[in-house]
Parts: sequence; C-alpha cells; structure tokens
Amino acid sequence: MKGVIIRILRQMGNDKRTLALMIIAPIIILTLLYLLLGESSYIPKILVAKDFPAVLLTELKKQDVEVSFLDEGADADALLKDKLADAIITTGADGMQIRMLESGNSKAALITTALKNASSAVNPPSSMNLTFIYGKIDSTGFNSLGFVLLGVLSFFFVFIISGISFVRERETGTLERLMATPIRRISVIGGYTVGFGILSAVQSALMILYSRYILGMEFEGPVWLAVIIMVLLAFTAVSIGAFVSIFANNEFQVMQFIPLVVVPQMFFSGLITLDTLPYGLGNLAWFMPIFYGCDGLEKVLIRGYGIGSIWRDLCMLIAFILFFFVLNVLALKKYRKL
Amino acid sequence: MLHMNIVMTQISKSFGKTEVLHDITLTAREGEILCLLGPSGAGKTTLIRLITGGLRPDTGEITINGRKFPNMEALRSIGFMPQNDAVYSDLSGYDNLLFFGRLFGLSGAELRNKANDALSWVGLEKDKKKLVSQYSGGMKKRLSLAVTLMHNPSILLLDEPTVGIDPVLRKSIWDRFEALRLEGKTIIVSTHVMDEAVRCQRAVLLYEGRMIENDTTGNLLAKTAGGSLENLFFAANKAGDAV
Repeated sequence: MKGVIIRILRQMGNDKRTLALMIIAPIIILTLLYLLLGESSYIPKILVAKDFPAVLLTELKKQDVEVSFLDEGADADALLKDKLADAIITTGADGMQIRMLESGNSKAALITTALKNASSAVNPPSSMNLTFIYGKIDSTGFNSLGFVLLGVLSFFFVFIISGISFVRERETGTLERLMATPIRRISVIGGYTVGFGILSAVQSALMILYSRYILGMEFEGPVWLAVIIMVLLAFTAVSIGAFVSIFANNEFQVMQFIPLVVVPQMFFSGLITLDTLPYGLGNLAWFMPIFYGCDGLEKVLIRGYGIGSIWRDLCMLIAFILFFFVLNVLALKKYRKL
Repeated sequence: MLHMNIVMTQISKSFGKTEVLHDITLTAREGEILCLLGPSGAGKTTLIRLITGGLRPDTGEITINGRKFPNMEALRSIGFMPQNDAVYSDLSGYDNLLFFGRLFGLSGAELRNKANDALSWVGLEKDKKKLVSQYSGGMKKRLSLAVTLMHNPSILLLDEPTVGIDPVLRKSIWDRFEALRLEGKTIIVSTHVMDEAVRCQRAVLLYEGRMIENDTTGNLLAKTAGGSLENLFFAANKAGDAV
C-alpha cells in the first residue's frame, strides 16, 4: 500500500496541472459562490396603492425595500414586465394582494421576507395573497428551474463528448492522418460541429419531450423554439469543447476544464437572479453562452414568449458558435499550415 | 530517365532552440524505395511530416511532382501511413476506408470497389465488418496500410510501418512495398531497423538531424566494414563523441 501511496503522490507531483486544478478550482468556485450567494445589495422596488394602510406602510419602509405609490389607473403587469417595479401591492377585503413578475426567484424571496416582517409588526397581522405573472405560488422547484436544467445539461454533455472526441483524434494520430489528405481545415471543424449538432438536436428534442410528457413540466411557449435554442447551445458546446481540447493532452485533462468552463456558467444560468448580485457580478453573464441559452429557454418555456422576444439570445449563441468556429479552424494550422 | 517526384532542397527545421533537421537536400524518384534510416530522434518523422505538410521548414524548399509544396493538389498524390495505426477503432475496417476514401473525392461504386480492393490487398476482406477495436495489432497495421493505398497515390510516405510487427507479417508487408515500387510508385520508408534497408534502392542515413549518407544501398553496404549499415552509425557516434 505504501508503494501505491508514494506512486500516486509522485504522479500528482509530476502533473502540476492536475495539482493546480485540485487546489485552485475549488477555491475559485468557493469564492464565486461566496460572492454570488452572499448578502445581496439589491433593493426591491415596491409600488403600493394609495389606500395602503399607513401603519403597514411605515413598517414596510423600515425594511430594505424602496416603496412608492402606484399611480391610479396604471397597468400593474406592464410595470412589472418593464421592470419598473418588482412588486405591486393593493389592498382588498381579503388582505394584501401582492403581484410579482415570476415565482421562485431571489427577488420574490426578498420581497416576501420584507412583507412578512412588516406585517408581523402590526396588530392584527394582514393576510397576504401572492400572484405571479409567470409561474404559480405552488410551482415546484423543477417547474420553476427546469429550463436551467435543460440548458445546462445539454451544454455539459455535448461539451464533454466533443472535447474528448477531438483529443482522441489527436492522441490516436487520426487528426495527423486527416490533415495529410486534401480536406480543408474548415471542413474538419464544420464536420465536427454539424455531426455533433445533429446528435445534440436529437438529444435536445428527447430532453424536451421527456420533460414535458413524462415528467409533466409545464411549458408556456412553443416546444420547437426551445429545441432550436438547445441545439444552438449544443453547437456552442461543440465549438468550445473542441477549442479547450487544444489545451488538453488526454481525456482526463478535458474533464479538468469542467470546473473552469461549465461550473461558473451554471451560476449565471438563471439559478440566481442576476440583478440581485453584488459587485456588478451579474454583468459576467454577458460572456457566457449558457446564460443566453437559459435566458431564451426561460422566456419561451416559462413566459410563453415567441421568437420575436429571444432574438438577442439566438444571435449571441450564433456569435459564440462563429467565434469559436474560427478559432478552431485557425488552431488546426498547428497540424497543417495550408 | 526516372521522374523526380519529391525534391527537398536545403531543408532545416527547429523546435524552439533545438534544431531537428539541418540542411537536408534529397530527392525521391519514381519506382524506388527510399529508406530513411536513423536512431530515435534522428529526424526521420520530422522529415516525413514536412512532406505531408504537417510542418513547414524554417529554411529550404520542397517540390512534389514539380510543384512547390504545400499545395492541396500535391496532397492528393500522397498516401501517408503514420507511426501509430491512426484508424478509428469505433468504426469497422470497411467504414474506415470509406471515410478516408471520401476525403480523396471517391464516391459511389468506385469508392466501394477501391475499399474492397484495398482490404483484399492487405488480406482483411473477411474481417471488414468487424470493429477495429476487435482487430489484433497486425490487423490494425494492415488496415492502416490499406487506408494509405486506397486512393492509389503515386507517393507513399510510411513512417516506421513495421514497428511492433512479427517477422512473418513484416516480410509480407515488405513484399507488398516491392510490388508497389514495381508499379512505379515513389516510396519513402522510415525505419531504425537496419536489415530493412537492404530492401530499398537508396538509403538516407540521418543522425541528430544531419544527413550523414545518401546513396544507393549497394554503395553504402560496400563502404561499411563487414557490410553492416549499423557500422556507419557507430562511426558517426564515435565522431560525435570525439567532438
């Protein structure tokens, strides 16, 4: 046993990259989680009706929220959709009627905490009636965050498979042989991207249909549009997988890229509401393909939007695909200058 | 007069500060087997990779069939057999051939016929539907040779094609090289097995990136004490040590 222990430690000592990853990657991820899940600096905006009880208003203003009055005749849902308010509260015979944009996110949690604190300070406490434009109060976590799982899983598996496949091509010498034929570099990368793209299209369609009809996930928008987003996300994963394989000498080293390429993106996939993040960290999402994929999936599957509302996400995914496609074609110059 | 298929003029190549080839000038002619002989690290594989276009020389020029290399057209006339088998183990032998054949523009019945011809040439027709992962080492080597030959290239670049091969299969493979030579192909074979050089018309002896001999095999054998090419390397080694 001693011999095995010494061998393992020596091997790790010789593999500086794995050693560095074992030490640095968890620290990076822990720091990221500390920043992302730490105290939010976000102040929710609440609009209340003119007849909102004064005593409750006083208590509400003591909480970490920004409270102002709702103009008479204003369209509450439009204000919420335009993000001019995070919650709109009116009062009725049944107590407070609280309207918010979507269920299950951190903004809704901040607002309900503030309201509960304010309500418990008055006597008798008011009853609260929550409704959402998107999602229901009794939505399961799977229903609320299913779009995140679809996006992240489709990216993750395709990234791993394409990365490993490309590394294997180099390891076995088939890439060298391929590049000694009259094939163009663009055809090699194009073939890879489209080949895996076809597989990912099948995978995406299966994942969507399984989620909808077997697991009973509630979809508001067109399924075909969700499949298109997932396929584009998978194409991005192929391109990025092939790109990182340039820096990997074997399959094991491709796996080492997961904590660097996939894990950070998961935090920006919709698990956490981005504008509640401190230090402007939410802006990092603009550089992450999974953010665009999951944002598009949320708009289609949860909000029921059509193609007109997800142009930005589709265009950004296409831009990522093209960017990494060009990088990969250039990287093949290492194997043939022509 | 024999046609000069490959002409390399004053080729040098370095990786970082290490010079792996120094001022190499050589030609390979139609209908001859040119042997690149040398110990590991002599520069044989680098020389072959320069001819496949996988590397570019730092100085010097390569022409193939009269055209400056690299160019796509020249690649069509090259059949390259890398040191490792370089075939897809999760495809059948036949599918491997179809894939590589398509890269050379073959299609339809012509593609299938050439794949079958190549398989039968290397004696793998019975195993053509098997996955390559089920092939023995020798079968993979033969398949790799079939992939190299199936588009009927006029130039064959074979990087240590008989490494790890038993003597019976090695003899059979060399018999096939001789048959291809007689068809008029230009064949460049790298090896560090001196015995194989006697089957070549000419041999280039590389040592630490320098060409120490380039002559017909007969002349080279005549120059050495005891008729052994290995003595040329021992002589070069001694000269290096003396410096």
